[in-house]
Amino acid sequence: MTQLDHGKFSKMTTTFHTLLALDVFVLFFSGYSLMFNDELWWMVGLMGGAQGVSAVHRIAGGGLLTLIVFWMLMMVTTDTGRGNFREILPSKGDFDAFIQDVQFLLGSADERHPNARQFAGGTADEIPLLTYIGKGVVFIFAAELTLLTISGLLIWSKTGVMDIMATKTAAAAFVTFHGLLGVIMLMGVMFHIFEHGFHPALYPVEVKAFIPKSMIPEEHDDDTEGTGIELLELAPSWNMASTVVGAMTVIGIVSVLLGSLFDEGYPVPREIAIGGGPTDILLTVGINMGVFVLLLGLVLQMYGNLLRVRWQKQLEQEASEPTTAADGGHVESDD
Amino acid sequence: MSYREHLPETEGYPRAAIAINALIALAVTALILWWAADFAVFYEELFRIQPIAEGANAGVGSDWTAGNQIAWLDFMIAITHAADVIMGVFILFMVFLHWGAFRRLAGRMRHPGDSDSSAVAADGGQVADADAPADAAGDGTVDDAAATDGGEAR
Repeated sequence: MTQLDHGKFSKMTTTFHTLLALDVFVLFFSGYSLMFNDELWWMVGLMGGAQGVSAVHRIAGGGLLTLIVFWMLMMVTTDTGRGNFREILPSKGDFDAFIQDVQFLLGSADERHPNARQFAGGTADEIPLLTYIGKGVVFIFAAELTLLTISGLLIWSKTGVMDIMATKTAAAAFVTFHGLLGVIMLMGVMFHIFEHGFHPALYPVEVKAFIPKSMIPEEHDDDTEGTGIELLELAPSWNMASTVVGAMTVIGIVSVLLGSLFDEGYPVPREIAIGGGPTDILLTVGINMGVFVLLLGLVLQMYGNLLRVRWQKQLEQEASEPTTAADGGHVESDD
Repeated sequence: MSYREHLPETEGYPRAAIAINALIALAVTALILWWAADFAVFYEELFRIQPIAEGANAGVGSDWTAGNQIAWLDFMIAITHAADVIMGVFILFMVFLHWGAFRRLAGRMRHPGDSDSSAVAADGGQVADADAPADAAGDGTVDDAAATDGGEAR
């Protein structure tokens, strides 16, 4: 059996990915418009001021709680879930893949390692379910989401925290902790958007996250040597788009990192730092660029789902046309 | 769904498990949020004066001063700042690593307008046989990309 690049995940996984992404985007937009309110004042306004933002964040937080409890249950209670857990454990190949990626960048390796290959093409049989980055994403995001959920629940009722800790400032400390924890995830998601949106062979979105494996035919031409990437034509807009979004991703990551360092929440400072620190305008532009990358991720993920719907329609159409039945590839299969 | 007949039988997650686990997840969420909301204390029941700070800062409002100096909270936040910086630098490195790899991979692909054979023939890639250095400087990618281009120009 051969695997194609696109058909790797089950329908449950692709649907879960979409719901989780939507929910996390809403959490980012609401949570970081609070934390970086000096830079993202317009987002606070869009969501109805501080109260509106808090309400949006809490509703999305409830959604996240449901999603992660559901996912944990699926991983533990089903054979498929337990079987897949083995697939995400890091191996020596993943470390090798990281080293080889550096060598590939420097020109001393000719190909990316199978554990790093996002576009496998003719080598689809060699590559594992997840790349080394994919495994890292699963682990880091899982740890982050768990910690964020726990710290988020702790500050759900701030008077409760104040009462337990016997001080009002404790609530400020936990809010700061919660916001700072999320910064790793925020930067990681920006990278994730760049990584899966701007691979030259898969630009503008990797459909494997959206089209489940049950909708992808198994047969494909095996006569290409290597990945066959040289047979593909680069999209005319790739060069410009990848440069602009790459730059925005870098600026966004640097800006939210700097912003998180400047925006002190605990110990509560004696004076209010208006403007979020010494680099006002640059930081404002940079953080807004980061938010733009997130917005782009949201758009690309809706586009991925649009492609799934179109693909399903195409399959239905092909199945209903008699000529398709007589067509090459499918009739040869033994059923 | 007649289109299904040409598609592979795949082993996914059982529908019943999805439905039951979704219901359990919703119930667990409701319980946890109910607990978290119940955690709240009516503000009038909150302490107003808690002179837990001693010395010069003792007195009304001193809980604020004391609460602002809790060492383990400070430490936890310092650790998180450090984790942010370490992970941030690492993630930035990964962005550049992928950006560079993508550019190199893009260099191997056919470029818009190259796809018909005459365009490839007229392109820099073909000139590689005559004067290699000019080409290498021309497309800025590793020379094997040019070789592959040439190979395909049938």
